[in-house]
Amino acid sequence: MAIKVPGKRYGKRLEHSKVFGHGGHGKKNTFADLLITPLVDMFVIIVLFLIANFSATGEVLMMTKDIQLPEAVNVKEVEMHPVVMVSNDQVSISGTIVGRTEDLVKDEYLNIPALEEKLRDMKKQFEDLHSMAGGEDNAFKGDVNIQAHKEVEFKIIKRVMFSCATAGYNNINFAVLTKGGSDSPGPASAEAAPQ
Amino acid sequence: MAGGMDLGNGGKGGKKPLDMAVNLVPFIDLMAVTISFLIMTAVWTQIGRLQVSQGGGPSTEETPPEQTKTVQLTLAVTPEQLVLTADQAAFDPIPVVRDAKGKLDLAKLAERLKEIKEKFPDQSAITLQTDDKVRYDVLVRIIDECLGNQLPQVSVMAAG
Repeated sequence: MAIKVPGKRYGKRLEHSKVFGHGGHGKKNTFADLLITPLVDMFVIIVLFLIANFSATGEVLMMTKDIQLPEAVNVKEVEMHPVVMVSNDQVSISGTIVGRTEDLVKDEYLNIPALEEKLRDMKKQFEDLHSMAGGEDNAFKGDVNIQAHKEVEFKIIKRVMFSCATAGYNNINFAVLTKGGSDSPGPASAEAAPQ
Repeated sequence: MAGGMDLGNGGKGGKKPLDMAVNLVPFIDLMAVTISFLIMTAVWTQIGRLQVSQGGGPSTEETPPEQTKTVQLTLAVTPEQLVLTADQAAFDPIPVVRDAKGKLDLAKLAERLKEIKEKFPDQSAITLQTDDKVRYDVLVRIIDECLGNQLPQVSVMAAG
């Protein structure tokens, strides 16, 4: 028979008690289950949110630091057309600079010759590409997007618009940032005539 | 064990265990890839357009019937004020004011446009005679206000 050290010996019921037994000194279980369910829930919510905000058209306009667009509520969805960018410093189309704003303000002419020429080239290119395909859907409609900085004066916009019209681009679209809070009233158009 | 699912021992007489776990790892992988793709292709800035067509060119809207009662509505836009004219009758000039946040206050213009729209429900056209010094954001705000007040055919022309 083994010799037992004298001391406190509690009954079986109190053996695991933190106060009387060894409960406080026992080894903790090292296995911890990671709860997957909240993680999966979170993923599902994020995926749904991102799919709801997904834009199939992609980025039509290239956003730059130089150009801050004005905000508007009653807008239509932007489409893929040639983009004329008007910043405080320069006017460019498809990455090609066609004029400096400083010079354009001083000039008394109504058009911008370099812009006009570039737009004519683009129109010819479009017509050459689509002449083989045929059909009314591929006909040239004369759409152009103007992406202008919000502080640009109308004098510059007027010259850009006139140049577009002279080159055959009569349907001008002003690019704006869509501001939430109101529903669109449906199709709307604005007619412009620089004089 | 097949794909994380406990199918038991397969014995004919043995009882199948009822607790089975679906393997969520491929599902989480799929989610992670989808989220990465969607975040990379997301367009965070919502851009719209205000359609404009040159004067004299074909308009995208159908012309209203001739029997309708309309007026020649013109809004002269200068950096300081807006002057609304219906046929020959000119309204009081509306000063261009901005609120504390720098936003253009067009409540008075909206009020007048509503009055005109009530008098002439068929009115759909308005001409903006814009001064050279007017800023682009002011012009866009005014066009937006006109479109919001059921005047879809907005013509923009230079003043003078």
